[in-house]
Amino acid sequence: MHIVVCMKQVPRDNSVKINADLSINADGIEQIMNLFDEYAVEEALQWNEKLGGKVTVLSIGPEDWKEQIRRALAMGATDSLLLSDPAFTNLDTLGAARVAAAAIKKLGDVDLVLGGRNSTDDETGAFAPALARLLGWTQLTYVGKIVSLESGKIVAERHLEEVVETVEASLPAVVTVVKGINEPRYPSLLRIRKVAKVEIPTWSAADLGLSAADLTPALKLVNRVPPPPRPKGEIIEGKDAAEKVKKLVDKLIEAQVI
Amino acid sequence: MNFDLSPEHQRIRAEVRRFAEQEIAPRARHVDETGEFPAETFRKMAELGLMGLPFPEEYGGAGADSISTAIAIEEIARACGSTALTYAAHLGLGCAPIAMFGTEEQKRRFLRPAAEGRFLGAFALTEPHAGSDAGATRTTARLENGEWVINGSKMWITNASIAGYLIVTAVTDPGERHSISSIIVPAGTPGMSFGKPEAKMGLRGSITNAVTFENVRVPEENLLGRRGRGLQQFLAVLDGGRIGIGAMAIGLAQAAFEIASAYARERTAFGKLIGAFESVSNMIADMAVGLEAARLLVYQAAWLKDQGRQYSREAAIAKLYASEVGEKICRDAIQVLGGYGYSSEYPLERIYRDQRLLTIGEGTSEILRVVIGRQILGEFVGR
Repeated sequence: MHIVVCMKQVPRDNSVKINADLSINADGIEQIMNLFDEYAVEEALQWNEKLGGKVTVLSIGPEDWKEQIRRALAMGATDSLLLSDPAFTNLDTLGAARVAAAAIKKLGDVDLVLGGRNSTDDETGAFAPALARLLGWTQLTYVGKIVSLESGKIVAERHLEEVVETVEASLPAVVTVVKGINEPRYPSLLRIRKVAKVEIPTWSAADLGLSAADLTPALKLVNRVPPPPRPKGEIIEGKDAAEKVKKLVDKLIEAQVI
Repeated sequence: MNFDLSPEHQRIRAEVRRFAEQEIAPRARHVDETGEFPAETFRKMAELGLMGLPFPEEYGGAGADSISTAIAIEEIARACGSTALTYAAHLGLGCAPIAMFGTEEQKRRFLRPAAEGRFLGAFALTEPHAGSDAGATRTTARLENGEWVINGSKMWITNASIAGYLIVTAVTDPGERHSISSIIVPAGTPGMSFGKPEAKMGLRGSITNAVTFENVRVPEENLLGRRGRGLQQFLAVLDGGRIGIGAMAIGLAQAAFEIASAYARERTAFGKLIGAFESVSNMIADMAVGLEAARLLVYQAAWLKDQGRQYSREAAIAKLYASEVGEKICRDAIQVLGGYGYSSEYPLERIYRDQRLLTIGEGTSEILRVVIGRQILGEFVGR
C-alpha cells in the first residue's frame, strides 16, 4: 500500500504580524508541522506497520519546509517529496490542490492520501476536498477512526459534531483526519540523526507540467487585519450568591443566551 | 570560530523541548511534592531514544555528541530538576564509565539495556566519611575464589535503589595508596541493601539512597577497567558529569529567567510595568548575562570533549560558574516575583531548591576551585 500524507508547515502560534503587502510575517516564530497533519502522519505510519508498502510525506513550499519533512521522516515515513517553485509562492487553496494532484498523478501508484482536517494557519479545510475532486477520487472527511484498510477498500468512521458515521469506499481515496484519531509518536533522536542527510526529492512546476494559468489564484486577498480584541468581561456584584445568580440569569435571558 | 549550533543540535533541542514541555513539565510539581519517581516519564524518554543519547548505536544509543547531550539535559532541567538529575546521573555516572572502561561483554550486558532505557545506571562513589576526599574510600573488595567480596557503605547515591546495576568503588589492595577499583554490582545481588530514599531540600523526585554492602559477591569479571585504577577512572568520569551538571544549571536558570521576564512584562506597580523600574530590569539583564556566559562555557567544554581534547579544566570552570550563577539567577527571579516567587503555588521556589544541589554534587564549588587553581598554579594548591 502506498500512502501519501499531505503535510503543511505552519507557525507555532497565532501571534504573527501582518506585513504592509498583507502577507504574513512569522519572523522569529517557530515553524511546526500542522497539528492535524501530524495525526495523519501517525495514522499512515500505523497502517504502514501493519500492511507494509510505503509512506510518502508530501509538502508544497520553499526549501526550508524540508525541516518538517525531515521530522516526518524521523517519525518513520519511508519517502518524501517537496513541491517547490517560485511560482508556488502565492497559491490559493485550489492552486495548491492542483499542484498536489499533479504530483500524486505523477507518482502513479498511490492508494490513499491522508491529511489533516485543516491547517491551523489558513484554516480553509478545502485543500483535501479540492484534491479529491481534481483526482476524481472519493473523499472521506473528518475521519476519527480508520476501521479497516485493505487493497481496494477502506472503512472509516467520520466523527461529526452530533453523530459518528461509518462509511465504506473503494480506493484510491482522499481522507482527512481529526484530532484524537491516534497519539502521534515523538520522532526518535537516533532517526533524527539518521535522516539529517537524506536527499529530499524536489519537483518544480515544470516537472509537474503545470502552466502559469494552473497556478493563478482564483481568490484575491483584499485585506487582512487582526480580529477585534475580545470585549471586556463583566463582574456581577451582589450581596450574596443568590442575588448574584439571579442577576446573572436575568442578564443571560436579556442577552437571549437562555 | 563558529558559535552556531548545527542543524542537528537545533533539531535535538526542538524535539527534546517539545517532549519536555508536553510530558515532563506538567508532572514536575507532583514529582517534587510526592517524591515519586516518574517511571512513566522515563519509559517515554526511552522511546524517544534519550536514555542512551551519547552512546554508540550498537550499544542501544543514539550516537549523539556531547553538545547534543548537554542540550538534552538542559531542556529536561528547564521542565523538571528531579527528572534532569535522574537522567544526568544515569548517563554521566551510570552509563559513561561502562562506555569508557567496560569490556565488550560488560557493554553488552549493562550498557546496552541501560541505553535502551530498560533500567537506570548508578555510580556509588561517596561514602559517609569520603565525599570530596574520595581517595579516603573505606569500602573494600577482596578477591576470593574468583569472586569479589564487597563490604562497606555508600552515601548519597543517585538512582541507587531503582538502578539495574551499581558501579561501586572499593579499595582492592589495602596498604597501597589509592588502590581503588570499580566493580559492577547488578541489582538484587544478595548482601546489598538500600536505605530509604533521603528526604532532601530539592530534587525530591530524584531517588537518593545510602547503600550497605555485607559480603556482596560478584564474579571477578565484574571488575570495570584495570584493577587499582578507580581513582583515575572516576576523575575522568566526573569531568564528563560536570558538563551534565552545568547543563542542568543552565536549564533550571533558563526556566527561572523566563518566569521572571514574563512577570516583569505583565505586573504593574505604581502605575507602570515593574520591568520599567531599573532595579528590576537590571536583575533581568544580569540574569541574561549570567545565562549566556554559563551556556557558552558548558558548550565549550562539551565541544572540547567532542574534539577528543583535554576538557577537565573547562568542565570544572563551566560547572562552577553555571551552578553558582544559576543559583543567583533563581534567587533574583524570586526577588522579581516577590511573594509569588516565595509561594509554593508557583514553580520558582522549587527551581531554587532544585538548583541548590548543583554547587555540591559532582564536585563542590570548593573542590572545583582547587582543580582550577592547580591547573593554573600547580599541584601544590590545596596540599
